[in-house]
Amino acid sequence: MCFKNLPVEFDAEGKPYLREGVANPYGYEPRKDLTEGQIADLLARNGHLKEVNFDPVTRVAGALAFHSVTDLEQRTVVETNAVATLFRGYEVILKGRDPRDAIFISSRACGVCGGVHATCSALALEMAFGITPPPLGVIVRNLLLSAEFLYDHPLHLFLLAGPDYSQSAVEATNPELWALARRTPTEHGGVHGYATVGAIMADLNPLEGSLYLEALGMTRVAREAYAILGAKFPHPETIVPGGVSTTVSLTTFNEYYSRLVKLFDYAKKVALLWDDVFDFFLRANPAYAKVGARRKNLIDTGMWDDPDLYDATYAGCNDWGEGRWATPGVIVDGELRTTKLQDINMGLEEFVEHSFYEGWDGGRFPIDPAGGPLSPHHPWNKETKPRPQGINWKEKYTWDTAPRWDRLAMETGPYSRMWNTAVARKRPHSDFIEATGHSLKLRLPKAVKPELELEWHVPREWNALERNRARAYAVAYSALVAMENWLRGLALLREGQTAVSTPFELPRRGTQIGVGFWGAGRGYLTHHAVIDNGKLANYQIITPSTWMASPRDPFGQMGPYEEAVLNTPLLETFDKPEDFKGIDILRAIRSFDPCMPCTTHVYAGDRTIVREVNTCACGVD
Amino acid sequence: MDERKQFEEWRSHRAPLPRTLIAGVGYRNLRDLSAGNAVVDALLELEWPPEVEVEDLSYGPMDAIFRLREAGFARLFVVGAMARPARFPGQVYRRRWRYEPEPPELVQGRVAEAVTGVISLDNLLVICAHFEALPPEVIVIEIEPEDDGWGEGFSPRVERAIGRIAADLRARCAPPVDA
Repeated sequence: MCFKNLPVEFDAEGKPYLREGVANPYGYEPRKDLTEGQIADLLARNGHLKEVNFDPVTRVAGALAFHSVTDLEQRTVVETNAVATLFRGYEVILKGRDPRDAIFISSRACGVCGGVHATCSALALEMAFGITPPPLGVIVRNLLLSAEFLYDHPLHLFLLAGPDYSQSAVEATNPELWALARRTPTEHGGVHGYATVGAIMADLNPLEGSLYLEALGMTRVAREAYAILGAKFPHPETIVPGGVSTTVSLTTFNEYYSRLVKLFDYAKKVALLWDDVFDFFLRANPAYAKVGARRKNLIDTGMWDDPDLYDATYAGCNDWGEGRWATPGVIVDGELRTTKLQDINMGLEEFVEHSFYEGWDGGRFPIDPAGGPLSPHHPWNKETKPRPQGINWKEKYTWDTAPRWDRLAMETGPYSRMWNTAVARKRPHSDFIEATGHSLKLRLPKAVKPELELEWHVPREWNALERNRARAYAVAYSALVAMENWLRGLALLREGQTAVSTPFELPRRGTQIGVGFWGAGRGYLTHHAVIDNGKLANYQIITPSTWMASPRDPFGQMGPYEEAVLNTPLLETFDKPEDFKGIDILRAIRSFDPCMPCTTHVYAGDRTIVREVNTCACGVD
Repeated sequence: MDERKQFEEWRSHRAPLPRTLIAGVGYRNLRDLSAGNAVVDALLELEWPPEVEVEDLSYGPMDAIFRLREAGFARLFVVGAMARPARFPGQVYRRRWRYEPEPPELVQGRVAEAVTGVISLDNLLVICAHFEALPPEVIVIEIEPEDDGWGEGFSPRVERAIGRIAADLRARCAPPVDA
């Protein structure tokens, strides 16, 4: 059964319909929580409970904050709230504009995701306009958006989250682990060159460690690869509905490949050195498997279209979606529920009970273009009605909304696209990528280092370390998707199929709707567009961070960041509360790969410890 | 004498210039905060001697590190709008910049901002200095912004400052057009 909470069923032909006899199929009664006064009373009667605030002081638009209550005796977090502190307003900015503006304006939603929003927007518009890009246009998009991830994932692994596992962090927070790491031999030293885990940790030190410095150089290589084909990164101006506007030749293809080949060896090293680090943590203290743990509820739109299948239509989205190099899908409690984009779209709702927005009446689109039922809370029916106000932890406390699928809180990332692809086995095996049903085999070609087969296994336990491990393997996955698309593109060039875009005319009359299903570095991305008489009447963006930084929903479920932090044991070594640095909480938060910087203060009584937490501002409306 | 001939005449007689980069930093479409970009846009319209390059460095410090190291400039002029306390909108503040080393945590904070898309003159200078990529001579030209709203164009005072800075940099690195 695809849906267990929404009243959506399927007939014998697989056509979805609303279950009969349900009076108010999408209605709900918001859950009542404890009042502020009851919470204050509880805190007063339990002296060992401490309120810990991650209070943002950010220099830029977009920030994440955390409010937590910790039990320092039991070393647990007992309550937490994720706070997106700024309103981004892209939905408001875009309303009434020429639809083509959406590509360039929505691209600015994030400074890291320099091409994904533009691409997702182009997909939404070409669905609305009814145009299909030529094969090489699809291939170039795939090449661009695999190069982007070859920049994005190492950036996270070595420049943002990596320092949490460096000598400087581990020695300061768990000196016993550092001592053990120094004498623990690695398993994969033959590939990455490190004899001990301690040596890896030393080279992860920020600003000076050689792995940190190497990542600076390798992310540049990936950005160059993007710019060779896309002309500019971030925020390319070559993404258009119906393809790309860049000039592609054998020369540009060869220049792209000269960058890609450097990343093959890097991918081998990255996956295996992080294996050594994370295996070390789990062996040293199995409780690390609880850091950042949460239900295995994952969602992903998939990405990297097969040019032989992609036709940009909503009617065909299940077929072209399942043909993608990364399979779309929803996993609930570790079980794959669906791989169909229509199911993903139908199950989607956004709630604002704990967000700084007013609700809306909705309901303009009770069904999708293929006749499937849609909730009044679906993005095509949503209205963005900001209502700034003060924080009240039990009422409204964030600018993020609460997206839910089948009324469940979901997370997303490169791991969700790998997980779906591995277990669904929709994509035919290739020379480079093989889905086994429980793993992905990734065959990296010979470069300077010999050919190497990596195997990423669907994890038994789901936690911060496994998120980052998957991300490390996603470098190899992205490189191999690039390789396969490079070969396909080369073949098209040889056949003389050099067109990269399809001309179109902007519809000036009537209503058109479209949705872009694509993937960001951090996973799921959708842009929903409604066009009335040639102007955008509604434009809704749901990003990975919209899902993951989300507040509680009206059913009382926490957002993924909140849930992961709540489940995190405090394994840090500290004798006195004032020595507490919060490294385990920060590892849990950062494992989601939040991407825009915000400085947070861990506040405990009269002591303030400044820590860096990064969150993706594009997750905020 | 037309401008082209004038330029060639000047170039044949002048003493060699130090290899120089004139750079701008800023967000586009953020009114006065785009002043650095506007100065560079204006200067890119002009012809320059071979030792002088003009470039918008808003693409970020992490790439600028490599660019500056590889190019080996002797001198960098960098222009940007920066709001600082006790200054007057539209005023131009020029100074020779020297790196006062910051604690590693602060530099790492700047790196985290830079790689996630924040465009900042201070981040560019500190990060490039930390990784020893800056030329020996760095001259920072800051404009105090008045309007930091969204959109094109500038406040009148900042618009005048942009013109003055462009003319001044032109005069320092190439002949004045009316010489």
